[in-house]
Parts: sequence; structure tokens; C-alpha cells
Amino acid sequence: MNIKISALMLGVMYLGVPFFLGDNDYLIGLVASALIIAGVAVAWALLGNLGGMVSFGHAAFFGVGAYTSAVLTMDYGVPVFVALVVGGVGASLSSIFMMPALRLRGPYFALAILAYAEIFKILATEATGLTGGAGGLLSIPSLPVFAGVDFGTKLGGYIVILNIVTLMLITYYFIRRSSYGLALKAMHDSELATRIVGVPATYLKVVMLLVSAFMTGAVGAFNAHYINFLEPDYAFSGTWTVFPIVAAIFGGYRTLSGPVLGALFIYLVDQLVFKNLIPQGHQLILGVMLAGMIILSPSGLLPVITNLFTRKKADNKRGEAQHA
Amino acid sequence: MELTAQAIFTGLLMGGFYGLVAVGLALVFGTMKVINLAHGELVLLAAYIAYAVESQTGINPLLAMPIAMAVVIAASLITFYLTNKIKKDRELNSLILTFGLGIVLTNGLLMVFSADIYSTQSAWFMEGLVIADSLFSMRSEMLAFVVGLCALGGLYWWLNHTWHGRAIRSVSSNRDAAKLMGMNPTKAELWSWAIAGVLAALAGVMLYVTSVIHPPIGHSLTIKAFIITVLAGMGSIPGVLVGALMIGVIEGLTTTFFQSSLSELASMTVFLLVLLVMPSGLFGKKAGH
Repeated sequence: MNIKISALMLGVMYLGVPFFLGDNDYLIGLVASALIIAGVAVAWALLGNLGGMVSFGHAAFFGVGAYTSAVLTMDYGVPVFVALVVGGVGASLSSIFMMPALRLRGPYFALAILAYAEIFKILATEATGLTGGAGGLLSIPSLPVFAGVDFGTKLGGYIVILNIVTLMLITYYFIRRSSYGLALKAMHDSELATRIVGVPATYLKVVMLLVSAFMTGAVGAFNAHYINFLEPDYAFSGTWTVFPIVAAIFGGYRTLSGPVLGALFIYLVDQLVFKNLIPQGHQLILGVMLAGMIILSPSGLLPVITNLFTRKKADNKRGEAQHA
Repeated sequence: MELTAQAIFTGLLMGGFYGLVAVGLALVFGTMKVINLAHGELVLLAAYIAYAVESQTGINPLLAMPIAMAVVIAASLITFYLTNKIKKDRELNSLILTFGLGIVLTNGLLMVFSADIYSTQSAWFMEGLVIADSLFSMRSEMLAFVVGLCALGGLYWWLNHTWHGRAIRSVSSNRDAAKLMGMNPTKAELWSWAIAGVLAALAGVMLYVTSVIHPPIGHSLTIKAFIITVLAGMGSIPGVLVGALMIGVIEGLTTTFFQSSLSELASMTVFLLVLLVMPSGLFGKKAGH
């Protein structure tokens, strides 16, 4: 069921969106921005669902990825597509500083990560030689022309971020199906029991953190080349933590496609509806949605909808059986 | 030398105020194991009420205290009510819930009061105060420090010497045993949230008279409050005071000898070091992991 939804979603994203919105730069730009949120949401959900870790600090990975890639392309002439990957690696490296926090349980981990994110933001503002400080970096190179296609356009950027998110979903899918995924699932029920049967729990958590940081960093790097501008307050902004959390919780962070659908829905509704209704403070709605979801349906909307359909099917079958 | 003394003095005064901000969070954390990520926003809400009252009527912002308390206690109890609605995995889900409520409050304040920066119009608070011939402070800073110390002292006395206070302590040390002794844990939790509201209101009005307010600082107050709570160890009020003074002095020294933008970095680093070396805090007995 989940796979069918993911496949359908990707089909629409690859064929439907460029076909219908391809010549409207504003709308395709909005969908691309929603996919940037979606990418971070998938990375966040991977850490939360598989690693059992709630993070309030993904903005740090996003910012580190963005600056790594921007500085490499501007100062060292590294090709943009290579820099995107190195941006992810940079974010992974930065997550090594957070490793000691893995010793901490539940809420302590979440809060330690929040503190790390603040530290990274302050460091980025202060390290003026590297990041340009509060003034920011201007004219970061756009995505290049590759194989005859100009990826620097809005549509080109959309295709690139769509590919990144798809790759992330595929990676997520295979990790979840692997024996690692099974061990991580078991860790949810009882970390102690899992450790006792010989699963290296800490090692698995480290790997999940590295993977999640890499994904977030790569998305952050993409964003830097997509909008060509960076400043610490923007790159490390809490928005990069808030939106993905709301999206993942809203769509259902235990599902594969939930965070992506959640991000598309939340971001587009926020930009197209709420931003016009409430020019200042429209993120209020995000807070309401987040709080509402946690109370009413902590597993998100997608599982609820899926359940509705499967129940209907089951009911139909039962009805048929009775008729026969 | 004189500079160092002044930096430490300013830091201590600041620390008294931080203690006032943090103790509400620590109290709720102690009784319910819920970290209220909207606590700083509750403090900021009280500060904005003081601003609204002062700008509308022109009276002393301290007189806004009753209104601020009523509103913030109500907001605190709503948070409690919503937190109680969480069905499973309350420890983590309550973090996300209160994080969401914090976003609601910050943006609500942004909508009503815009992103402008406000501070009190009353000059009385800004006047200087000299102690021991060489240590300077503003009247408002000294006031916030004294209010902070009194509130912490009062709370400590209340928790140890009154029936409701003891009920809260018994629920926080063992919820099931307290229930068996005929205690109503929900009632004790309700009390702790109400008291947290009172403390947040006090802190908010003090914030308004000592400093400038604008919507984003609610979040940084929350971060500061839980840093102090973790430094203190679970639910220890003397611990909160020591942790808060420590953070205040560290920030005072960093601001004087380096720059103010690094002060948060310094306190954050100390927090992480303590958390990693002593996960149960400086004064806590229970392990944090």
C-alpha cells in the first residue's frame, strides 16, 4: 500500500507537475521549495522512525551543507553537482560532534541537539572569514548546464531536487528492508533486549545520524545553489527545523511517502493560502497543526487515510462474502 | 580587577532573573517529566501584557502584574490540559506539542504586536544604582534579581512546608506511591502548572522592565531555562539557583572580555559539557539516561 502511494506520488511529480506547471516559474518554484522541505522532512523522519531519535536541530545540518557547498564552489571552483555531495559529507562530519549526545535518552537528546544547532548558528555568524558573517554570501553559482539541459532554470532545479528526494526515498526504503532496518525496528520495542541479543544499538544509531545528516546537508547545499544567496540567520534558521517536523508529523513520520506529501501540503497551503490571509505570523497555523496532530493523531494523516481505505475494502469483502 | 568584579556582579544579577525564568520549567519537569518548550513564550506573553497595559493606560508596568498572572496562568493550564490529552509516548510527544504551542504563541504575539522592539517608557527603572562604591546596576536589574531570589526562596519554602507543596514533591518522587497514599496526582500536577504560570508572569514583567522585548526571544528564553534545569538536575530548586547564577556569570564574563554575541555560545558549551560528563546535572540524583 505504502509503496503504491509512493510510486503514484513520484509518477505525478515526474510527469504531471512539469507537464501542467512547467511554464509557470512561480508555481514550479513553489513546488521545488516544498520539495526542499520534503527532503529535510524525509531525513528527519528517517532518524525519528528508524533511529528513534527526535531532533530539533536539523537546521544545523542544513546550514552546514549549504555553506560547505557554497564555499567549495565559490572559492575552490568545485563543480556544483560534486559540491552538493560534499555538502552532504560536510553535514555528516558536523554530526560527529553531536555523537556524544547519543548517550542521552529521549528528551535529553532532543534538547542537546537543539543546543548544538544554536552553537553552529553562532559559529557561522562569527566565522566571518569563511562564511562572510552576517553580511552573507552573494552570487553563489547556479546549477550548471549538464548533458544539454540547463538545470539553472526553475524547472531544471525542480527536476534536480525531485531526483534528490527520490534517491533519498529509495535509500530509506532499502535501509528499512535490510537487516539493519529490522534491528532498528526491534530497538523501538526494547533497546535493552535488542542489545542483549547482540545488536550494536549505538553503532546503528550513529549510522542513522550520519545518513540523516548527509541527506539534510545535500538538500541544504541544493538550496544554496538554487537561490544563490546565503546568510547565517537564513541557512541555520529554525524554519528548516520547524517545517520538516510539521510536515513529517502531519503526513505520518513512520511512513515512506508521508513526510513528502505532508511537506507538499503544508508548504503549498502555507504559501498560497495562509500567507495571503495573515501576512505576519502565518506560521501560527503550523503550530496549531503540529499541536493538533500530536493530540488527535500522532501517527499522521496518511496512516489514517490508508486505514480508511483498507477498512472499506475489508468491509466490501465481508459484504460480498455474506451475499455469496 | 574592577572590571572583573563588575562583570561578575552584573552576571549574578542576570542569574537571579534567569533563575526566575527557569524555575517554572524545572517545577513542571519535576512533577510531570514534561519539558514545556513553550515556557519562554509564556514569559514573553506576560512581558507583552505589561507593555500593553503601560502603553494603553500609562501606569507603572509593575501594576500589570495581576492581569499578566491571570492570562499566563490560564495559558499554562491550557498547555497542561493539552499535554494530558497525549495518549502515548508522552515524554517525546509533549516536546513536539509544546514546541508547536510555542510557535503559536510567538506568531500570535507577532500578529498582535508586530515585530517591533519595545521597552518600558518609565525612566525610574533605568536609573543607576551603586553598591559598595564601585558596582553599578540599573534599578530594574536589582529589582529583577531580588524578585527572582524571593520567588525561588518562597517556592522552596512552599514545597517543603505546605500541604500542596508536599503533595507536588511526593508526586514527583513517586507518582504511584503518592496515589496509593490517597493523593490525587492530577491535582498536584495542576498546581505545579499554575505555579509555573505565576512564576512565568513574574519573570515576564521583570523582563519587560529590565530589557527589550520582541517575538523571537521567547525561544531563546526557553533554551536558557532548560539549560539551567538540566544543569540543576531534576526538580532541585537550590540547583536551579546555582545553575542560573553560573550561567549569568559566564555570560557576564564573556560579554565583558570577549563580545556579547559569544555569551550564548559560552553558556551552551558549558551546558553540553555538563550534560555529557554528568548526565544527571550538577545536583540531580537520578540518572538522565
